[in-house]
Amino acid sequence: MNLARVLAEPQPTTPIPAIPGRAPLRAVEVAPSRDQRKARPRTLYAAITVAGVFGILIAQLLMSIALGEGAYQISALQGDQKQLDRRAETLTERLDLLSSPQLLATSAEFLGMRNATTPAFLRLSDGAVLGAPASAGVAAGAVTGPDGQLLVANSLLEQGVLAGQGVAAAGALDEAPPAAPAPGTWVVVGDASASGAASASGAAATSDPAAAGASSGSAVAGSVSSSTSGLPTPNTH
Amino acid sequence: MRVQASPARRNRARLAVSLLAVMILALGFVVRLVDIQVVRAAELNSEAEGNRSIPVTTYGTRGDIIDRNGVPLAASVMRYDITAAPANIRDFKRRLDDGTTLTISVDRALEEIAAITGQDAAALKTLVHDALRDTPDSLWMLVEKGITGEQLGKVQALRIPWVYFENRPSRTYPNGAVAGNLVGFIGTDGPQAGLEYSADTCIAATNGSSTYERSGDGVRLPGSTVVQEEAVDGGTLHLTIDSDLQWFAQQALAEQAMAVGAEWATATVVQVDNGHILAAADWPSVDPNDVNASNVNDLGSRLFTAPYEPGSTFKAMTVAMMIDAGLVSPTTKLIAPGRFTIPGGYGEITDAWAHDDLPYTVAGILANSSNTGISVLTDMMSAEKRHAYMEAFGVGSKTAVGFLGEDAGKITDPAALDVITNYTEMFGQGITATSAQVASIYQTLGNGGVRMPLTLVTGCEHPDGTIDHLPPTDGVRVVSEKAADETVQILENVISQGGLRHNAQIPGYRVAAKTGTAEVAENGRYGGQRIVSVAGLAPAEDPKYVVVVTIGKPDTMKTSAAAAPTFKKIMTQVLTTYRVTPSTVPAPNIPLTW
Repeated sequence: MNLARVLAEPQPTTPIPAIPGRAPLRAVEVAPSRDQRKARPRTLYAAITVAGVFGILIAQLLMSIALGEGAYQISALQGDQKQLDRRAETLTERLDLLSSPQLLATSAEFLGMRNATTPAFLRLSDGAVLGAPASAGVAAGAVTGPDGQLLVANSLLEQGVLAGQGVAAAGALDEAPPAAPAPGTWVVVGDASASGAASASGAAATSDPAAAGASSGSAVAGSVSSSTSGLPTPNTH
Repeated sequence: MRVQASPARRNRARLAVSLLAVMILALGFVVRLVDIQVVRAAELNSEAEGNRSIPVTTYGTRGDIIDRNGVPLAASVMRYDITAAPANIRDFKRRLDDGTTLTISVDRALEEIAAITGQDAAALKTLVHDALRDTPDSLWMLVEKGITGEQLGKVQALRIPWVYFENRPSRTYPNGAVAGNLVGFIGTDGPQAGLEYSADTCIAATNGSSTYERSGDGVRLPGSTVVQEEAVDGGTLHLTIDSDLQWFAQQALAEQAMAVGAEWATATVVQVDNGHILAAADWPSVDPNDVNASNVNDLGSRLFTAPYEPGSTFKAMTVAMMIDAGLVSPTTKLIAPGRFTIPGGYGEITDAWAHDDLPYTVAGILANSSNTGISVLTDMMSAEKRHAYMEAFGVGSKTAVGFLGEDAGKITDPAALDVITNYTEMFGQGITATSAQVASIYQTLGNGGVRMPLTLVTGCEHPDGTIDHLPPTDGVRVVSEKAADETVQILENVISQGGLRHNAQIPGYRVAAKTGTAEVAENGRYGGQRIVSVAGLAPAEDPKYVVVVTIGKPDTMKTSAAAAPTFKKIMTQVLTTYRVTPSTVPAPNIPLTW
């Protein structure tokens, strides 16, 4: 069935004839009702939404930039930390070696010191001397054996002379020659040969107590020559 | 005649074909999608992860072994291996500080590395050139292993693009051979000896594993680290050893052992009131940093592992048990015969010097170290009772230290005791003990008759603060306080009136000690070899420290005079170190003869 066939022929539309003598009709705008106005989409909301979306996008962008930058920063700082940890470990290791009994004993012996063989105490309250003090003799023994090696071995130490230590040696030998003059003293392995490298890393050179001892060695020697007891007078404390 | 299809039909056919094509295409995509997303999802995911994520081993740190003052005897350090990729080894341009660039040849770079690591430059060049020739496509070769952090920094500063670095957790012993025999060492296959081995459950670390993802330029992506397993650090092992005293004891021991041509020697210092071992020295000693320099027989601690016939140092124990049982007092008058006949015609016991019957007190028997006198005392007590006393003193059982390979010594069961050993074991022949056990006997006498468990390890402190591996601390009363004190007084007279007067007396102090010159059984007979020892206590009026020095098979001096100077030296150092003030009251004189 074709609807077109049942529908009446449309009447031809004729324009409303203008009534003579009257002004032509103006188009009247239909004012929207309150409900209609409410139902209309609001530009403000749209703007806020769009701005919000953009805001979120930008925030996300910034955040990921910051995060990315942070990652590089973390990476760099972790690298730094690793370096510093390594340095701390190196220094601790060195300190442990420098405070090893072998190194302390050889250094003391090098300075002409001997282990006391008879214990004696000075009581501070009344200045009384307890025990039978006597000077250390040959019986005190030596840190190194006849072959010049440490009796209590430590392969992390080696025989050698630190830069500048020769001066201290000369001073010590003048006043109190050791029973068997040592050619040098014992140092941490690598110290004697790597004096050039030590000066390159300034911190290592200044934190080296052996080197510091060497530089103050001449001062100690000076005070030794002025003392009459034969015992070195400490010029500090 | 050609039938022309109507245009409508042609359109419909075209539509159907294209629809079919689209559907087939869609089906293809669906199949592929299911395949990727469902069927092979796990496989592909892990593959993708593998392309992006980097697995890393996180190393736990092996715990330190420290002495009583916190001085590290064994410490963990990180060492580094330098590796290279032969496929990438070629000359490179180095940008210098002044902005110019310099082409560094492979040989030049290798020379620079060798200068830092101390390798032989020629050997290193040969190594690398061989690798370049044989395996030019390889991505890994070892250039040098175990360089220090300091060296690592220098090699990194060379900025050679084809070298890489790997971590190698290592162990260092900053004090060298000080306590080296106790601490032990780590070989390539893990702990090999000493406490490193026996206390491994305390100090061993557990390595962890984790993965992270990284960007194209090698930066770790934030938040991408996945820890599969946490690394756990090992605990810190606390020892009773005083490393300075330990060094001194080893030093003094080495001097004397070399002077008298000994085969081995041990010395120990024990705190009387708690049985803590302050020093346990062995000669020859091991430097754990350089184990290959030592003989394989010297790697342990003979103090614990080498039992020997102790000889006369045992006589103090014999006298103490007789006094404790109320059978004698220090002044009981006895006759030390010139020859003591063993019942049943098994021979005679004599003294080190020929003498007629001597009127000795009990103190005199001990002070003069009379074997015949001790044999007279032996007859006063049953073998079972004597053995019960000896076992209470710790003879025949391992000390509480439980050192790796520790020996319990040998004491014959009283039921199986032959008639000769029945007498000789009371003066330390035909019975064996370690130096640690001898020290334990003297600790008991010094501590008023209460034997404290010998202690070397005071505990294991874990990173979370918990402490385990705690040693036993309960003492055992062996003899009465009176018996112990009287024995110490007699031992004091060994020094003040006996032969040790010149060798072992420390001016200003009262020392109680006993010597031992034991014969060494070889091939079933006693030969010319001796093991000489001195065991003693100071200060005698209130014993605080035990020192036992044992020198095995000396060549040039086969009497206890070989051990006495070392005993004196170590005891002097102990008294000085622990600020024991000199004695104010002179030693009491006990009559030795009547």
